[in-house]
Amino acid sequence: MSLLDLKLLRDLRALKSQAIAVALVMACGLTMMIMTRSLILSLETARNGYYERHRFADVFSSLKRAPASVAAQISTLPGVAAVETSVSMQVTLDIPGMAEPATGLINSLPERRDPALNRPFLRAGRLLAPAARNEALVSEAFSDAHRLRPGDSVSAILNGRKISLRIVGIVLSPQFVFEAPPGSALPDNRSFGVFWMREEALSEAFNLEGAFNTVALTLAPGASERAVIAGLDRVLEPYGSLGAYGRRDHPSDTRVTDEIGVLQGLSFGFPLVFLGVAAFMTHSVMSRQIALQREQIAILKAFGFTNRQIGLHFVKFTLVIVVAGTTFGALGGWLLGQKLVVMYHLFFRFPALDFQLASGALVAAVLASAFAALIGVLGAVRRVSALSPAEAMRPEPPASFRPAFFERIGLAKKFTVSLRMSLRNIERKPVQAFLTTVALALATGILIIPNSFRDGINHVLDFQWDVSQRQTVIMSLVEPGPTRALADFRALPGVVHAEPFRAVPVELRAGNRTRRLGVTGLPADGHLARVIDAHGHRITLPPQGVVLSKALADALALAPGDAVTLRVLQGKRPVREVRVSALAEDFAGVAAYMDMDALNRLLGEGDRINGARLSVAAGAWNAFLTAVKSTPQSAGVAIKEAARASFRKTTAESIGLIQTIYLVFATAVAFGIVYNSARISLSERSRELATLRVLGFTRGEVGGVLVGELVVLTIIAIPLGLVLGSYMAKAILTTVNTETVRLPLILTPANYAFAVLVVSIATTASALLACRKLNQLDLVGALKARD
Amino acid sequence: MNPPALPEPVFNVRNLGKTYGTGHAAVRALSGVDLDLRAGELVVLLGASGSGKSTLLNLLGGLDSPSEGELLYRGWDLGHANEDNLTRYRRDVVGFVFQFYNLIPSLTARENVGLITEIARNPMPPADALDLVGLTPRADHFPAQLSGGEQQRVAIARAIAKRPEVLLCDEPTGALDIKTGITVLEAVQRINRELGTLTVIITHNAVIADMADRVLTLYDGRIQNSRTNSTRRPVGELDW
Repeated sequence: MSLLDLKLLRDLRALKSQAIAVALVMACGLTMMIMTRSLILSLETARNGYYERHRFADVFSSLKRAPASVAAQISTLPGVAAVETSVSMQVTLDIPGMAEPATGLINSLPERRDPALNRPFLRAGRLLAPAARNEALVSEAFSDAHRLRPGDSVSAILNGRKISLRIVGIVLSPQFVFEAPPGSALPDNRSFGVFWMREEALSEAFNLEGAFNTVALTLAPGASERAVIAGLDRVLEPYGSLGAYGRRDHPSDTRVTDEIGVLQGLSFGFPLVFLGVAAFMTHSVMSRQIALQREQIAILKAFGFTNRQIGLHFVKFTLVIVVAGTTFGALGGWLLGQKLVVMYHLFFRFPALDFQLASGALVAAVLASAFAALIGVLGAVRRVSALSPAEAMRPEPPASFRPAFFERIGLAKKFTVSLRMSLRNIERKPVQAFLTTVALALATGILIIPNSFRDGINHVLDFQWDVSQRQTVIMSLVEPGPTRALADFRALPGVVHAEPFRAVPVELRAGNRTRRLGVTGLPADGHLARVIDAHGHRITLPPQGVVLSKALADALALAPGDAVTLRVLQGKRPVREVRVSALAEDFAGVAAYMDMDALNRLLGEGDRINGARLSVAAGAWNAFLTAVKSTPQSAGVAIKEAARASFRKTTAESIGLIQTIYLVFATAVAFGIVYNSARISLSERSRELATLRVLGFTRGEVGGVLVGELVVLTIIAIPLGLVLGSYMAKAILTTVNTETVRLPLILTPANYAFAVLVVSIATTASALLACRKLNQLDLVGALKARD
Repeated sequence: MNPPALPEPVFNVRNLGKTYGTGHAAVRALSGVDLDLRAGELVVLLGASGSGKSTLLNLLGGLDSPSEGELLYRGWDLGHANEDNLTRYRRDVVGFVFQFYNLIPSLTARENVGLITEIARNPMPPADALDLVGLTPRADHFPAQLSGGEQQRVAIARAIAKRPEVLLCDEPTGALDIKTGITVLEAVQRINRELGTLTVIITHNAVIADMADRVLTLYDGRIQNSRTNSTRRPVGELDW
């Protein structure tokens, strides 16, 4: 080892706490980068492999009923590679040990062969026996939620007949990587599950023998998805097609893709902020180090060391910090990534979701942090090069000061001397003061982001469950029924209030933009389901026109008053021009609402309903559930509190974990920044502070002088940080938000107060730590040393 | 006629010693020093580097504690005082003047003095202190705008503004040319005379000894020689 390197090691040891602070901030940024990039890689690898091995389809469509022979017709469409048809029905389930009924989606599997597409993966037990009638496979998410094992039985109401299904196997399916009730953005694995039965038994129960109501197909290489979708719609239109769609609109695949998109947003924004802070910290530590070693540098130069050698010496100094930061960051990313990958099992069901370290990200991380650190050290090294040895050996001239701005304009008459010292110091080194303020503001700002995510999620949930959806339970019918079905619902025990709803699949077209979705018909004066505008006010559904969610209006480039073409994909398939009457605020998916009577008039099928929202008295809850389980015409029951509890148990906990990780990092960085600033201030002013101690100032008084500047800068930085944090939260939310899930930007006083509190504590704690160092000041040495 | 009664000693020093480090690395910086210093005296400490001058001054100034012996300030045991009491002592009793001035660069001359008068018990106005060292016209200048001699006079004004009982000067002219050095010493002499402050000056320059009441020469940590001048020569009449 060269002696210069030995000097490096010893200097590092002397600077260890600051070097560690910089390395930790860097490590926090890299941990997040490596963690998120690795999660992206893990999810993509798992998804792509799974889709390929289990032949996940490219295009999907649901319809009312088509004869089996139509399948052959579909397979002759240009661009179609493979076709699989099946029967898929929603049913009410009676699960042992569960008071309330659950909803099941039963899909058929071909009678005597493996399905060509969307093949289930067997996790436990066995697949269905050929021609088995009462055997079923159940999805792993649902079986986990109810501890169902092969050999257990569940009761299901199939088209009004209650039958017992024996579970023989627990499976996964590429169609249900994300398993949520149809139309819901949130998983609810207790109340909703997916099942598979042999085709004959299922189609018999629903009078669909020799027919199908679901089709999936894969595209031939090079085929146009658009053309195939159009062709499929043409073929299926006579059979009550609800409209074909590609993977982009597939509810499960969209969620996986969205999650990867969210991670991509996070893998960039957060690390960028953290590495920026690390660069700043490197710069301030190295500038100070070079200023302290001015005379040593002069001597090295006088003895013939080149600028290059000396510059490299300081660059190495930084690289040691980079290596430490990267090592900790990689380790952190690896450990946290493994923890989070396990958490993803709660949302996404893959046969295997193994953690894969993104080695590319690791290389990028090393480069990014080295780049950040080198940017930080560059200016300082340039100053070394510019220094001539003779000049450097002379002591630095005394720093020149002048009265601070506040004093020049006569505002500082009452300021204490130590406050004046702080203000003049700040004004004398405006760049450093600016950078410290920026770093402190960043420390404040990054604390805002994770809490704004939490508040946004809480807002969405409160909105979803308290403001918008006010029913106890939603009951849906197998098929649209006459309004007298409402009377049946009202007759159920404990029902206090019932409001019908109508739901119908439509295509909305404005110019060349289209979206397919279900339009919901609600009573204009109902109060169990309320449509809310951006200001939180309730929208009364007008007798004509349609209310669109803001996201849908944006997607179709529509504003209130514009006309939109509404093509119904069911029944008589009318096509009508309707006006957009208002925009609604919601946070998941896209939605359109109409007055139920207006919708029924438009459909021309008389007054029909798809189900009802019920408000049920708490005292009669058990009697209500018992009655519901044996109600034949009900296809599904969605209990609000069950969904909320299930969400709390799974999703909320996981989001809480991620939020905690980010918050811990943000707090660590806030401490790092403040501590580093205090240490540098101590190092720059040690002689001045020692002189004050000699002159009879107490430790407390000298501490006040030391931290005065930091306190002034913190006071300036905190409000800036709150503004900066709000914008950062907005920017990150914008990159993270998708059409399926949107988080609103919710900034609460509690969030701001928390950020201010943490930064204040960090400032106080760092100041105390730095003040402890005051005890080590060399009083006698300070008297002998030159300026 | 009886000789005038000597004033009470400010410091009683008996068998004072200071050792830095322990074991083989121990360095004996001061040993067996006996000394009484009285109010109004001007004492010059002479001696080569490492002779123990600065160690003695640091002990008198409450910057360091002795390893052995007795060090009393007006009967109070300065040698065994704790950190807080030492701070209190420095704040109320001692004025320091250092070789390299040690001014606060971000404060003007007036404010450097004012810094001390803010915490002192019975200070004089900063303007008066600056007037005593002849710096009234430069009061609102920052250290970077002052010459070395001016900076050292600000340091003296800072030291005496609290009306200290003891003024300790460690090589006050060490960084100055002769002409500037004279101005600075004149200021010290004036303070000593007009305020009756016990003044101890460390110097390498034997000429300065003639301005003192007493000259102590240290060698190897001990007082080798103590001489009392019958008359103190004004700084202006010293043979440079």
